[in-house]
Amino acid sequence: MAMAIDNVFEIDFSCYSTSTTTITTADDDPACTWNDWGSPVVDWGSLSSERDEFQDLIESMMDDGTGFKLSQVDNEMSNSVSVSVSVSSDTMVADDETNGEDFKGLRLVHLLMAAAEALTGATKSLELARVILVRLKELVSPSDGTNMERLAAYFTEALQGLLEGSGGGHSKHLIANGTHHHRDKHHQSDMLAAFQLLQDMSPYVKFGHFTANQAILEAVTHDRRIHIVDYDIMEGIQWASLMQALVSRKEGPPTPHLRITALSRGNNSWRSIGSIQETGRWLVAFAASIGQPFSFHQCKLDSDETFRPSAVKLVRGEALVINCMLHSPHYSHRAPGSVASFLSGAKTLNPRLVTLVEEEVGPIGDGEFMGRFIDSLHHYSAMFDSLEAGFPMQGRARALVERVILGPRITGSLNQIYRTRKEYESGPWWEWLNSVGYKAVNMSFGNHCQAKLLLGLFNDGYRVEELANNRLVLGWNSRRLLSASIWTSPQDSGL
Amino acid sequence: MYNNNNNLHHQPQTSHTSISRSSDYSAGGSGDGEPSGAGNKWASRLLKECARAISDKDSSKIHHLLWMLNELSSPYGDCDQKLASYFLQALFCKATESGLRCFKTLTSVAEKSHSFDSARKLILKFQEVSPWTTFGHVAANGAILEALDGERKLHIIDISNTLCTQWPTLLEALATRNDDTPHLKLTVVVTANIVRSVMKEISQRMEKFARLMGVPFEFNVITGLNNIGELTKEALGVLEDEAVAVNCIGALRRVPVKERATVIRTFRSLGPKLVTVVEEEADFTSTRYEFVKCFEECLRFYTLYFEMLEECFAATSNEKLTLERECSRSIVRVLACDDDQDNNNNEGECERRERGKQWSKRLNESFSPVGFSDDVADDVKALLKRYKAGWAVAQPHQNETGLYLIWKEEPVVWVSAWKP
Repeated sequence: MAMAIDNVFEIDFSCYSTSTTTITTADDDPACTWNDWGSPVVDWGSLSSERDEFQDLIESMMDDGTGFKLSQVDNEMSNSVSVSVSVSSDTMVADDETNGEDFKGLRLVHLLMAAAEALTGATKSLELARVILVRLKELVSPSDGTNMERLAAYFTEALQGLLEGSGGGHSKHLIANGTHHHRDKHHQSDMLAAFQLLQDMSPYVKFGHFTANQAILEAVTHDRRIHIVDYDIMEGIQWASLMQALVSRKEGPPTPHLRITALSRGNNSWRSIGSIQETGRWLVAFAASIGQPFSFHQCKLDSDETFRPSAVKLVRGEALVINCMLHSPHYSHRAPGSVASFLSGAKTLNPRLVTLVEEEVGPIGDGEFMGRFIDSLHHYSAMFDSLEAGFPMQGRARALVERVILGPRITGSLNQIYRTRKEYESGPWWEWLNSVGYKAVNMSFGNHCQAKLLLGLFNDGYRVEELANNRLVLGWNSRRLLSASIWTSPQDSGL
Repeated sequence: MYNNNNNLHHQPQTSHTSISRSSDYSAGGSGDGEPSGAGNKWASRLLKECARAISDKDSSKIHHLLWMLNELSSPYGDCDQKLASYFLQALFCKATESGLRCFKTLTSVAEKSHSFDSARKLILKFQEVSPWTTFGHVAANGAILEALDGERKLHIIDISNTLCTQWPTLLEALATRNDDTPHLKLTVVVTANIVRSVMKEISQRMEKFARLMGVPFEFNVITGLNNIGELTKEALGVLEDEAVAVNCIGALRRVPVKERATVIRTFRSLGPKLVTVVEEEADFTSTRYEFVKCFEECLRFYTLYFEMLEECFAATSNEKLTLERECSRSIVRVLACDDDQDNNNNEGECERRERGKQWSKRLNESFSPVGFSDDVADDVKALLKRYKAGWAVAQPHQNETGLYLIWKEEPVVWVSAWKP
């Protein structure tokens, strides 16, 4: 696991007045750093000064090229990390501190990578992983420090979970319910508050909902009856805004009837059936309050979360929409098998439209754990940065979102990556939809504009790209984060 | 094979090299899982990987491992962290070819902080909690007393850095043994700079003690010697009517490897009745041109030593810390300093240990071995009883001589006696 520090230095520090070589090179006697040990008075205090000096030495050695050449194994990594790092620096006041912070950030990344490597690499060593995680915990805390430090704290926690899981016998339980387990710990009010904050501070929730909703509206303009099967309804807020749009639509039959079937899971999930019922009740009340004809149903998944299309009640003449929100920040990780059963089962129902929102994954090499781990680091680093860029002063609010939503998200993400690390990685779901025969539906110009408008309400670091005629991708700076794509069933000849 | 003379029962070992630990240090090969055993794996793994990387000149790997070791090590942490810390220093020096400079700095720093009081406190505390040094003292004293029994004028040439902690017991024995107390001349040859400064205090105390014991006593200190091989009868003040014993504690390993044969011949030339040799059981000599092998042996030995210190001392002991720091100098010296630079180094601090078997081979050129009597063996066993469990004494195989101090079933110190 070589580190392409050279490259990063070149990119990072071009914007700083202080040069990299502020580190001690004048005194080229490395032995001097060990002088501290000669004191007979035992200094039980912090050792960080020793380490930094040593670190500086290594860095300075590389700077003056005394024989240490580094190979660039992971170019992408160094570039992305430096971008994430320098982005947060752009939004901060560039002072002498930032130099040190960047160093620390890099150091944390290297430690995390070393821990991940020790946990899963060719020369696996759980003992080494444990020791590295101990060290990391000394350096970071989820509640204070820089973005990088807090991010590292959550990743450390996630890796710790993997370590304990792989050593103990509860791995299945932990991995399957990792996210849920964490969620149980959070108070309902915290969850609501964090979710609200996430929506206020970022476009992550609304992007998926609005893009899907716009596509749905466009697909059902002339329909009187609309039936949406929702894979993971959560609080149902996506449908509140759809209903508002339906109620006020100008074209086609006025206020079509909307039926929503929400999939519910067995008792494994923290989401008991009761919660789905609550969502249903709320939606019914909301629909009534705006005059939207509405009915709500549940469809239970099997205990292993397989979808049975026959369990969905269909009505003649209704336009069927399949809504699949995966991997948005506040959603749980669903087992790939379950998702696959849903999407392939849905095909047999011949839906008019399929809306799919999922995490956009970067280049992950051969799909091995390390590649995906690093990609995950990039991903959440960008998310943390985006929140900070938009709301630099609202540290506590961001900390709440990080703690309640993103932290568990990270744990769930790593759990899933770890669990599937030896399996063939099937790639993004939109690719899968393509391969099983779904046909792309053009993303309208209007939809694209809407997305841009949405992003315009937030920080201008967000951007939307149209990566295919049916796919919009939300990104933060150079990092793509969320993908929204729309499809139709192969048998459906026309809208 | 060892015969165990102590109550500690363990299986016979087929060689001097450790069996309980050698499985941990099997060279090469990446394990595809955790080898079974205690938790102290990560440090030795990383350290050995780094040593191999340095030997292979794989700079990116070297950098990565040095960085990782630096992150995880600490001279104040647990055993693994400490070993990682001190060996990291040596690896760093090796990789950057700064070993000699580092060694000199460490030495000068240690010298500055060294005082009679601190040195004395250190040695006494160490002797209180561990038989590491007292083992050799007791055995050597026993052999000396027996070999020089009946002599009227004794001259002991002490080539060691033990600050004369060996001799009070001997003086007592001389005083109480027979009515006719012989005259004892003690000539201490000091090789380490560190010890020189404190010898003045020591000489005063020794003379006082001898007076109290009623032993006619003369005390001399020889310093400024570039090379033990330069010792002569005249330089040492050896007189014709004296019965000479040469007592060598941890001194032979300080002699540059090429000169060891000469030094032993020098001892012969002093005409001693007895030569006692005490050395730590490790081999940093035969592998001195094979970095990785030497590294692994060094790691093996110091792991034992550090673990021993950890068990014998209290957790926050300053003495333990100082002893560990002293190791750092030897480690840097052995692993990161070029042997050929010895010529420039006046202090003769080579630090390349050899095992008893190897020393015996050398000593056999000029001397023949003297076994330790049952009385001496009993004395040693009695000594060990005063310490915590884990220590034992063992006699070596038939063809070999001396006694081994065993800790946790590993031979750690070797004592032997020789006559011309």
